[in-house]
Amino acid sequence: MKLFAKVALATTLALSAAPALAQETVKIGALYPFSGGLALLGDESFRGLELAVEERNAKGGLNGKPIQMIRGDAVDPNQAVGEARRLTSVDKVNAIFGTYSSSLAIAATQVAELAGVPYFELGAISDPITERGFQYTFRTNPTSKDFANRMVDAISDAVAPALGVDPKSLKVGIIHEDSLYGQTVAGFQQKRAQEKGLNLVETLPYSAKSVDLTPVILRLKSAGVDVVLQTSYQNDTVLFFRQMKDQGFKPKAVIGAGGGYSLRDTVQAVGPENMEGALNVDFTQYRTNPAAAPGIDAFEKKYQAKYGTPPRSGHSLANYMGANVFLDAMASAKDLSADAIREAVMKVDVPEGTTPTGWGAKFNEQGQNTRVSPFLMQWQGGELVTVFPEKAAVAKLKTGVGAN
Amino acid sequence: MTAKALATPAAARRKSGLLSRLTDPRVYCSLLALSLLLIIPVAIDSPFIVHVFVTICVFAALSTAWNIVGGYAGQLSLGHMVFYGIGGYTTALLIQHFSLSPWIGMWAGAALSVLVGIGIGYPCFRLRGPFFSLATIAFLEVVRLLAIHFHGVTGGAAGLIVPLKLGWQWMIFREKINYLYIAFGLLLFAMAVSWAIRNSKLGFYLTAVREREDAALAAGVSNTRVKLKAVMISAGLTSLVGSFHAMYITFLEPATMFSLATSIEIAMFSLIGGLGTVAGPLLGTVLVVPLAELARGWLGASANGLHGFVYGTVLVLITLTLPGGLAGTFGPWVVRWIDRLPGGGTRREEYEAPEARPITGTPGEPILTAENLVMKFGGLTATDNVSITLHRGEILGIIGPNGAGKTTIFNQISGFLKPTSGSISVVGPDGATRTPVSADEFARLGVGRTFQIVQPFGKLTVLENIMVGAFMRHAKVDDARAAALRVARLVGLEDIKDVEARNLPIGGLKRLEVARTLATEPSILLLDEVMAGQSQSDTQRMVQLIRTIRDSGVTVIAIEHNMQAIMSLSDRIVVVDSGRVIAQGDPQEVVKDRRVIEAYLGEDFVHAQGI
Amino acid sequence: MDVFVQLILNGILLGSMYAIISVGLTLIFGIVRVVNFAHGEFLMVGMYAVYLLAANLGFHPYVSAVPIVILLFAMGALVQRFIIQPLLGADEHIQIFAMVGLSTALVNLALLIFGADLYSVNTPSVRQSIAFGGYTLLIGQLVMFFCALALVAGLHFFMQTTPLGRAIRATAQNRNAALLMGVRVNRIYIFSFGLGAACVGLASALLMPLYPVTPTIGTYFVLTAFVVVVLGGMRSMYGAFAGAMIIGIVDSLSGYYIAPDLKEVVYFAIFILILIFKPTGLFGLGRGTE
Repeated sequence: MKLFAKVALATTLALSAAPALAQETVKIGALYPFSGGLALLGDESFRGLELAVEERNAKGGLNGKPIQMIRGDAVDPNQAVGEARRLTSVDKVNAIFGTYSSSLAIAATQVAELAGVPYFELGAISDPITERGFQYTFRTNPTSKDFANRMVDAISDAVAPALGVDPKSLKVGIIHEDSLYGQTVAGFQQKRAQEKGLNLVETLPYSAKSVDLTPVILRLKSAGVDVVLQTSYQNDTVLFFRQMKDQGFKPKAVIGAGGGYSLRDTVQAVGPENMEGALNVDFTQYRTNPAAAPGIDAFEKKYQAKYGTPPRSGHSLANYMGANVFLDAMASAKDLSADAIREAVMKVDVPEGTTPTGWGAKFNEQGQNTRVSPFLMQWQGGELVTVFPEKAAVAKLKTGVGAN
Repeated sequence: MTAKALATPAAARRKSGLLSRLTDPRVYCSLLALSLLLIIPVAIDSPFIVHVFVTICVFAALSTAWNIVGGYAGQLSLGHMVFYGIGGYTTALLIQHFSLSPWIGMWAGAALSVLVGIGIGYPCFRLRGPFFSLATIAFLEVVRLLAIHFHGVTGGAAGLIVPLKLGWQWMIFREKINYLYIAFGLLLFAMAVSWAIRNSKLGFYLTAVREREDAALAAGVSNTRVKLKAVMISAGLTSLVGSFHAMYITFLEPATMFSLATSIEIAMFSLIGGLGTVAGPLLGTVLVVPLAELARGWLGASANGLHGFVYGTVLVLITLTLPGGLAGTFGPWVVRWIDRLPGGGTRREEYEAPEARPITGTPGEPILTAENLVMKFGGLTATDNVSITLHRGEILGIIGPNGAGKTTIFNQISGFLKPTSGSISVVGPDGATRTPVSADEFARLGVGRTFQIVQPFGKLTVLENIMVGAFMRHAKVDDARAAALRVARLVGLEDIKDVEARNLPIGGLKRLEVARTLATEPSILLLDEVMAGQSQSDTQRMVQLIRTIRDSGVTVIAIEHNMQAIMSLSDRIVVVDSGRVIAQGDPQEVVKDRRVIEAYLGEDFVHAQGI
Repeated sequence: MDVFVQLILNGILLGSMYAIISVGLTLIFGIVRVVNFAHGEFLMVGMYAVYLLAANLGFHPYVSAVPIVILLFAMGALVQRFIIQPLLGADEHIQIFAMVGLSTALVNLALLIFGADLYSVNTPSVRQSIAFGGYTLLIGQLVMFFCALALVAGLHFFMQTTPLGRAIRATAQNRNAALLMGVRVNRIYIFSFGLGAACVGLASALLMPLYPVTPTIGTYFVLTAFVVVVLGGMRSMYGAFAGAMIIGIVDSLSGYYIAPDLKEVVYFAIFILILIFKPTGLFGLGRGTE
């Protein structure tokens, strides 16, 4: 009997020692859509994390322990749940980084929260991700509310002064594709426009699969809209600019919410002259004043060196910045338990204007970064340049849209 | 005391039936195979494996539910996720607004889905093949767009988050294995329902409707009602699974809850596994889901699209090489192998046929009256003021040249055509006179008919064909089988009762027509050219058979071109030409009628003969 | 009033685009009795081909129409010969699945080769807008309108006057009778499927200057094309043309007067109502329930 107890004890000890050995490396999960329709930007987002991790490993890892990255491919919410389960249970990661897409993030965080594994969101913008009272979900990037607020504020802070008019005299029209992204951003835009007392005359949702936006444009045109706020993917952005020209609709300003507005392909399809002057609110892009975003040029070089192309969008940069904030926090935590990590994240205090995205980092109880806001950019001469706020700007805001 | 004494043997028989079923290798092999879905993940004990098996169970259950409509009823719905989404949303909204446990909410969702199923099914079931599919896609799209548009209710495209309240009451667990128990339970439930349908009257009726709508009508099957039953059951099951899956993912958005791609996928699992079989949907899912999981891992990011390309190509190849699916192609072979296991291959003991429906009433009374039937097809008048009265117990022959309108009359007095004007009344089994409207209503009132162009259910055996008819009077499968066997013996089909109907020669098919109709135990039998294509001796047997039928109290109307047979058989003859009744009466007198000869042989002949 | 006229004008031009895509679908359904669920993917293949010709050889999309039509004809004929023909005797289910599988395979093949990015051909001459009396329309749309008219008229002429056209009509009306009359039905089917696909080839050349191509572009158009075909009575080319005009105008008007995100709901509702209450199509030119 005693012998049996001893053996049992020994086994238990051996079993508990095994994870301790495994702790020689720090395991983190990288959960992104690597295949399927979202793969392009999912992969782009992952590259930011990959660069941050490699950089850290080159410096000796996290407190001397190398970081091991385990990828999870989330194509749809069911898959996101499955991969999150795998990462938290089979691979027993210390934290998960992700996710780019909001619906995937929501599904995956529900799993991580129940498993008690910290989840670091670096790219999904849907607000509810950090509004559910979760203990272990944190996010560095701005939310759709931040996007919406920046877009609406840009009317009074940047566009109206440039036009030399009173913001309240401008007629504002909101148009958006009707999936998660468009619907949430537009909802916050409406609220903000009301708060600011702006003259909102039209709110028009449409399907991103539309083959004709002429009715939308005619509605805007007949309402005499001066400033259009559009939240859109690529196809509908192209369609909107083309048909706006066809119908001779000439608003004083058009502001996009990232998505299709940030992609070079969009400009090529529309023709740079037709998109000249289009404004855009998005994650920090590369034509930003390094004074406001120290390290942005170094990141671009590193990216070019590793992948052989310039970054395809600002997603890699945002993920890089966020990954660094959280890896720093993990390094300063007293151990890698979820509670210790939470404690460390709550202590993070990075002032604005000191990271490659120009964002700061300070988390509220819900895990959302409060020192973050997207910049206002503009297409000028086929380049997307930051024009607002003043400190980050590399060019002056121009008025008018397209060749007219 | 007496009641108890009576009950005991019945109970004993049931018990032994159940026991003998358990020792049947078909039963224990299926149960063993199914339990692997539970044993493997419990043994491996990895939450990821559990997730894969939950996914398998969920999709297999969805596919099984789909198969009831898509396979059994042959209605290829490509919008089945409507029910899944409704289930998920109803459950989640009830939790959100009323803190109602999902265990209750899922039934509310199922009830709603059943109603929506009726709403979609009722108008769409008249559509054929691809058009039904297109309509279901359209419904799915409309519901998805509405779910996005009314974001005040559904949370819109932003989605709906299920609050993480833990425990059995809320169907959300930290211990992932609990999800598997529920998913497996749902799968078992869906398969049990599917199996029960397959082996019941409803299953036979669904197959009948899928194969031949007209013949099913003639056997008293209301096509729409049967299909509606199928869609109601299927919608309810799909909805239950949707509710569970929503609790599992804890996040609902219109794009995934009402996804066309997933609708196609669950249909595809059934196709790969074998449409219209009980095991097919599960087989297809078990094969494809793990393969897809693995393929995603192997191909993943490096080859975006390759995985979908392989998927699509495999689907095309399966349709080209294994149109019966796995179960359809290898099923019989596996079953034969399983039957060789201990306890297999035993045949069920002879089951005594139930009493046939007795026919009562006074011989000679009018039993079916058709008055002033006018049937117009566009400008063509097919029947012009036809009135026929049928007397109980007689054999009435209808003759006339080709295209005279005989079959059109038949179609009207059996409800297959609605006359432009005129009325038909039938004396039902209870002696009351009724004016039925639809073909199945005629059949249930006791008007049985055969078709001039035979309408067998090709994929059913001869006996099963007859059973479709027998179900009208005998709802239990065993009763129907025994009754069908009795009819097969009477008509002379007993030797070939296990042959698939599509393999029968024309003579056999004609007899099968009669047998299937006879199995409905009609009081009026409408025979449309049943002698055609029969050999001399078969014709003799048929004449004999019709006499026997009449002697059992059935009233017979026969359309026939075989003059000799019909003249010797009939008590009375009606002659039809160009849509009118030109003569009726005793066979001997009718043949002498000048107008009849004119109609058959032309005026010249009449003049030449000097009649 | 001005807006109303502009919307109607826009609707007609949109309708001509739907028409030119739907004519091929109608043709294939009317003759071969197969609903081509991969129709949108044929369009996608055509558009990528136009893009490749423009990017590599500098062909104007309208010039590419000729090789593209031939390419799509071959593709349609091959699909009929190797996928549909072996399944002619099988259940309708099986055919639908085969076409759905083909559609999935083609979309993902495009994703594999071209990625999710969009490609466009810049043809400023086609995108020139003409203004008259305050209304505007594009040259490309006008070309599409006249091409759609010419295509319907040309096909009608072909079906009515040529021996091959007559053989096709005979096959469409009664397969067995045509077989007995010595028509080689399988060849007619292959030719007809090819012809239907060739119409899509023409459509893709005309569409390319107006829309950028992505792997999923087909799904944007194909459901609408089904609606059009059902509205027109499934087999009538004139019906399809008129149905396309109606859907175009409904699309345009409901997008303006109801809500842009509900315009699909509007015409899907029309689609369902037509299927249920008038399965012969709006003009009674076909039979939907057979």
